[in-house]
Formats: sequence, C-alpha cells, structure tokens
Amino acid sequence: MAQYADIIEIVASAEASQGSRVDITVRIKNTYSSAIGIMVGGALEYGLSPWPGISFAGPTSNVAGGVTHSFSGYFTMPEKRVTIHAYSYYYGADGSWHFDDEMTKTIDVTEEIESQFGSIEILSYSRR
Amino acid sequence: MGAVYLPSQFGLLLLPLANVQVKPGDKLRITCRYSHVGQADSQPLYAAIGNDGWAGFNEVLHGSKTISVPEDTSWDYHEEYVDITITTAISAGFYDLYAKIGGTFPKVISPSLLDVVEVLAEIPDSEFGEISITDYVKV
Repeated sequence: MAQYADIIEIVASAEASQGSRVDITVRIKNTYSSAIGIMVGGALEYGLSPWPGISFAGPTSNVAGGVTHSFSGYFTMPEKRVTIHAYSYYYGADGSWHFDDEMTKTIDVTEEIESQFGSIEILSYSRR
Repeated sequence: MGAVYLPSQFGLLLLPLANVQVKPGDKLRITCRYSHVGQADSQPLYAAIGNDGWAGFNEVLHGSKTISVPEDTSWDYHEEYVDITITTAISAGFYDLYAKIGGTFPKVISPSLLDVVEVLAEIPDSEFGEISITDYVKV
C-alpha cells in the first residue's frame, strides 16, 4: 500500500513484436492532501541481470494533492515475454526520494509467422 | 483447345479452356492468384510456355518479375501478373502454360494448362513478286 505516490495503472499493449518500440504510461496518484514531488522508475524483467531500465521523458513532477499524473516512457521489446516493473517515489521533507509503490504488467511477444505460400493458379492469359 | 479436369458429382468434368493466339513480337500476360500467410516477402513470380510431359515441364519461353507480398496474419489471396515476350525462339504450334513462385527451389507451382497457347508462324516481311498490266483504257 502506497503512502503518498500510489500507482494506479500501467498502460501498455498486451503484446509487441521483437525489436519494436513499446510505449507505456504509468499513472501515479498523489494521495497526500497537498502537492508533493513524485518520481517514476521502471525496469524490465526477462532474464537479464541487472534488469534493464525504462526511459521516461519526464521522470519527476510536482503533483497537486489528490491528482493523478501520467508518466510516459518506452522501451524496445526483447525477444521474449517481459514483465514491466514500475516504481513510484515521493520527495520527502528530508530532501531524499523515498520508494513508495510498485506495480507489474506483463507483455507477450507477438508471434511472427514466417512467409508461406499455399497455392498458385493461373486465372487468365491474354495477348498484349 | 486446352482443357482441365474438375471433380464433380458426376465424376471428372472436362472444362474446355480457350486458347490464345500469339506470334513473335507479342507479349503474353499471365495473371495468377496465390495464397500467402506470414511476414512480408519478395519473391520472383515466374511463368513459362512449353510442353508438359512425363519428365516435367519442358520450357521454351519464360518471363519473371519480383513481387512484393504484404504481411498476412492469416491465409489471404493475392493476384499478380507476369508477361512473357514471344520471340522467334518458339516455333508454331500449341503449347502448355504454368506458373510458380520462388527461384531455383519453388515455393509453390501451379497446375499446368495444356494446349492453351497457340503460337502462329511468323508473317514474312513485305515482298512484291511480280506485276503485270491487266487493263488499259482512256480516262
């Protein structure tokens, strides 16, 4: 349960083809009564260590109390199913970022079928 | 006149096919329909005129071009044509026709259409043999 920076949802497609860009949005709500600084972070779990990060255009924002802010990011789809880990942090009175919440979402690799030809027939033939 | 055999409730049905007459200098356009699934692809579409026999298809003339096939997430049909230029390399007579997709190792081959192309003898160049006066009158 988040203290101040509650991750509401991760918006991303359910599947993507290998090598394609996957855009994601992490929606984080400030549950505090007044504005606080919120930061988003993200990592990809699919077998690599350490987990590769997710690029966010604007990872920090001052968010008014009770407001949900959308953080946009992206990554390149790996060759297998990946689990997105999104993290939220709030800026404390001590001048440090504090980890607050985590949410995950899994994205499958779109299965790409090799090119196959099934049949061919001659429909017409004419002199030109 | 060529023909194809089609299965029917009465057994095999003989469906006559019209033949096309061509002569050297003409082009024969063969339109094909093929099915495809999977990633986008580029492959040669190839068609040949010749004689279908027990040992295979003896090609006399052929034409080919590269076709670009879009990605198909399920089996889909496409149509494309290829031209064969008729040259003096082929002698007068009736010939068969077939088409395929792919290069040395074809991915798919059509059934042959038998005796559907009639190559006409080349018409000789203009020549004058002799002239004679057939009449003379005052006008």
